[in-house]
Parts: sequence; C-alpha cells; structure tokens
Amino acid sequence: MDFSNIDFDKLFGSSDQTDPIMMLIWILPIIIFVFYGQRIQLAITLGEIKKGIKKLEGYKTNSRNELIEFVKINMNLEYDPSKKIDKFLDYFTIMPVDMDPNGIIAKVRHIVRGREDYSREHIKSLSPQTSNLELSKIQTLLEIASSLQMIYKVINHLFLTAKKHNNYPLILPLQMILPLIIEEAEAMSKAIPGFKMAQPIGDGIGPMVVGKMMLDTKKESIAFQTVFSETMYDGRKLFLLKAEGPNSTVGRPGDALESIVFKSKPDFIIMVDAALKMEGEESASIAQGFGAAIGGIGIERFQIEDIATKNNIPIFSIIVKQSVKEAITLMTKEIADQAVNVRLQIYEMIHENTKIGQTVLLIGVGNTVGVQQ
Amino acid sequence: MFSKEKIILAYTIEKCNKCNLERKRKFKQGDYLFALTLKCDSCDGITMIDKIFGETIK
Repeated sequence: MDFSNIDFDKLFGSSDQTDPIMMLIWILPIIIFVFYGQRIQLAITLGEIKKGIKKLEGYKTNSRNELIEFVKINMNLEYDPSKKIDKFLDYFTIMPVDMDPNGIIAKVRHIVRGREDYSREHIKSLSPQTSNLELSKIQTLLEIASSLQMIYKVINHLFLTAKKHNNYPLILPLQMILPLIIEEAEAMSKAIPGFKMAQPIGDGIGPMVVGKMMLDTKKESIAFQTVFSETMYDGRKLFLLKAEGPNSTVGRPGDALESIVFKSKPDFIIMVDAALKMEGEESASIAQGFGAAIGGIGIERFQIEDIATKNNIPIFSIIVKQSVKEAITLMTKEIADQAVNVRLQIYEMIHENTKIGQTVLLIGVGNTVGVQQ
Repeated sequence: MFSKEKIILAYTIEKCNKCNLERKRKFKQGDYLFALTLKCDSCDGITMIDKIFGETIK
C-alpha cells in the first residue's frame, strides 16, 4: 500500500469539512465508554483484586501446612492430623445478640473463653503428654491459621458476588480495604516462624518490663495463665502482674485484678502495653496516658475498668508504639532497647503520683511468648 | 532475581549479673528472656538472657 499520498489534515478533521471516518473514530469510543465504561473499570479492578486474593490464599495454605507440620513433629504423632486440624480451622464463633446490649460483655466472655478452652482441650487430646508451652504455641498457630482462612473466605465471597452480578459499587469498598487486609494477613503469616520458636514478639514489651522486675521475687499463680508477685520500691509496695511465660498467652489480667482487689486494694494501677502507632509516628516511641491500655476484643478492658471504677483506683498507662507487623513478629532491637526507658518512666510515674506506704499494681500487658519471669 | 524480602536474623544478648559483661550470639531454640544460661567468660558469675531481638541484614 502506498501511504505517501495520505492527507493528514483531512484524516484528522483539521479542514473545515466534516469527515465521516473521523466522526466514527471519535464517537465510537465515547459510545463504548458511556455504555461499557463501568464494566471495563470492573474488569480492571477485578483483575487487581484477584491478585490480592491469590496472595491471601497463599498465606492461608501456608499457615495450614505449617501448623500441620508443627503438630506432627512437636506432638510426636504417628498418624496424619490434617483432618482434625481442618475441623478446628472451620470452627466459627457466633457472637451474642446485641439488640439489647445489657450484659453482653459477660456473654461475649463466656463464648470466647468457651472457644479457647475447647480448642486447648481438643489440641491436648491429640497427644496428652504435650507440654503447656508447646500447647500454647499450637493454639496461637491455630488462631493465626483460622484467622487467615476466615479473611480469605470473606474477601473471596465479596469478590465472587461482585463478579457474579457485575456490580461495580459492590467491588469499591473491597478495593479500598484490600491493601490494609493484605498488610495484616502478611503480618500474621510472617509471625508464624517466631511463634514456632517461642521468640519474644513486639507485643511482649509489657511482659518483658514486668518480667524482669519479677526476677528474685516469689511468684504465684493468681488467675488462669497469669502470675503475680510482690516487691518494694522506695517505700511503696509494688504488686507485679503478667501472663505466665514463656508460654504464648496473654493471661487473664481482669480475673487477676479482681482477685488482687479482693485481698488488698491497690492505690494506683499502671499498665504497660504495646500500642499500634499511627502512620508517620516513630516506631518504639514511648507515650504515657490515662485509662486501661489493653487490646483484644474488649472483655479484659471492660473488667479492669469496671473494677477500677467501683474501687476508685486511678489507671495510668505507658505504651510502646509499633506497627501491626512489629507487634506480632520477632521483637525489633529498637523495641527491646526501650525496656530500660519504660522501667525508668514507671519509677518516675510512681514517684510523681504516689506517697510512701501506698500500693501500686503494675500490669505487663501482652503476649508473653519467650518471656520468663 | 532481586528479592524484596528482607532477611531478619534473631539474636540473643547474654548479660553477666556480676560483671555486666554482655555477649551477643545467634538465637537458638530454647532461648527465653531472663533464663540463666552459662558461667560468665570473665568472672565466676552466671549469665542471663537479657534481650532477644531481630535485626535486618543490610
């Protein structure tokens, strides 16, 4: 073909006369985008989401396989536990009705603790001679694997529903939250090796600080998986409380506080915990504040706040800021190095807010995996 | 070819309760914070695990 005699002015309509070919070139895409624009956008977005879902599926499968392998090796099982593990992973929790919120905390506590007790007992039944440390590690790995499975199921459900109905507005919220969900799922997936080796995690900074203060004191079990001891500091009586390490557990500080207050009411409560940092905030920075610093579903915080309010005990908190990933994976050097500064701030807080002869309760909040006392 | 994954190595810091000598070594299974480990290299004190943390290889 000879292209040398093409008149570009004519082709692109720069001349005054209107060219029907040029009209088609401009009008056709407009018509396509008016009628099919949303579908094209949906196809592009679905493609992006599918990539994310593949990642989530990878995390889910990997966590399940790692759990099965860990159970096989650490519980010395001769049979394949895959079927039982899959059954555990599929367990769901139905939260109580919240139309009438009165008394809902007790119901939530009952259901959550029932689930924890049930899974612990059933894991133990696989091999009754397994140590408490190994059991706690398996229980944490099971929680991670079932959370990753649930995340994958929900996201995949939303994706398939939007795809089935070609519903673009339905896919928008999914597109917005998916990067955040992938970040959390990735953090959970990366936490697995640390829990398998019982290494301290970022969330363990509270138990680390209090655990060191508990050394050379007489420890006693005060609530389920929770230890207590007493010491003196500058004329003040110090009650120390943390989850029982080096197991992977957060203990039950709410029940422990109830027991302590029943025996001897403290004048002041200090809670030390890890807290999620905001974007732009420096990791491992320390902050002080008021109120109960404790995460989770809210049942422990409610119990602590309730007891403190009824007994008129002020609650102060010291937090060490970190990202989600840092909180559940192997403790970083920056966070570990802050333990000394947190301890200094605790002593300063005690000096500033209490008098000689008073009693202070210090709670190290968080998962105490790899942290003894 | 070029992995974006950062490699994090776990380390254990042992500290002597008597002479405060610190020794950094690679983490090994069974290391827990505040566990008593070995006799100190420079005195007759006992070392205790003071820190366990992860460091990114640069």
